[in-house]
Amino acid sequence: MAGAESSPLTTYVVNTSDGVPGAKIALSLHRLDTNLMIWTMIGVGTTNEDGCCPGLISQEAFIPGMYKLRFETGLYWERLGKTSFYPYVETVFTIQNPAQKFNLPLLMSPFSYSTHRGN
Amino acid sequence: TFRLQQLRRHILSESKITTMSGSPLTTHVLNTALGVPGSNVTLRLYQQDPSTDVWHLITTGTTNDDGRCPGLITQQQFKSGVYKLHFETGQYWARMGQTSFYPYVEIVFTITDPEQKYHVPLLVSRFSYSTYRGS
Repeated sequence: MAGAESSPLTTYVVNTSDGVPGAKIALSLHRLDTNLMIWTMIGVGTTNEDGCCPGLISQEAFIPGMYKLRFETGLYWERLGKTSFYPYVETVFTIQNPAQKFNLPLLMSPFSYSTHRGN
Repeated sequence: TFRLQQLRRHILSESKITTMSGSPLTTHVLNTALGVPGSNVTLRLYQQDPSTDVWHLITTGTTNDDGRCPGLITQQQFKSGVYKLHFETGQYWARMGQTSFYPYVEIVFTITDPEQKYHVPLLVSRFSYSTYRGS
């Protein structure tokens, strides 16, 4: 986990169905190993009360490549006593310039979700 | 060989029936950046084996001019379980000479009642996408 420096890659989960942050959602960050063509898990975390997950990755570890964020959204809705159409959400993205900041929010309800590249 | 021919005729006529009555699972790709259908997008539908978690390829298709891809799956194949739609969105933007933040989009969803109709659209731009369960 990153220390005092903030992670160049951040996320933010919103429960759009209840209009609250998506808190206590387990998530994992993976990078594609291009030699072996397999995903390597490089970070795990849980969103806090604000739906944020600080310290996802250090600036050092944030090299150009293909990454995947996986959110355990199915478990989240189950905890709230609801079923969801999606057992989890995975979003795969390409980082070309790691000097930039990337904020990748996930806005979700039990039957829909959206994501976009922010900074 | 006669039995094989019979089976072949049976399977072919079944897929014709699907085209007429419609796949219970449909999709629709929309290019939200330009406000047009996402046409000629290659996509693949997978079904997950519940005992091994292995993904099995069910269909490969390409969206038409309307951004749709009829005949994704037959009612017979459509069992309860976990499915994945993989959209080659990166290739779509590259064909238009543009880069995209996402090399592809995968949507994993659970079918609990295969008697229902499920519509899984993808609204996509170079830097965003969204999906929802329709019917």
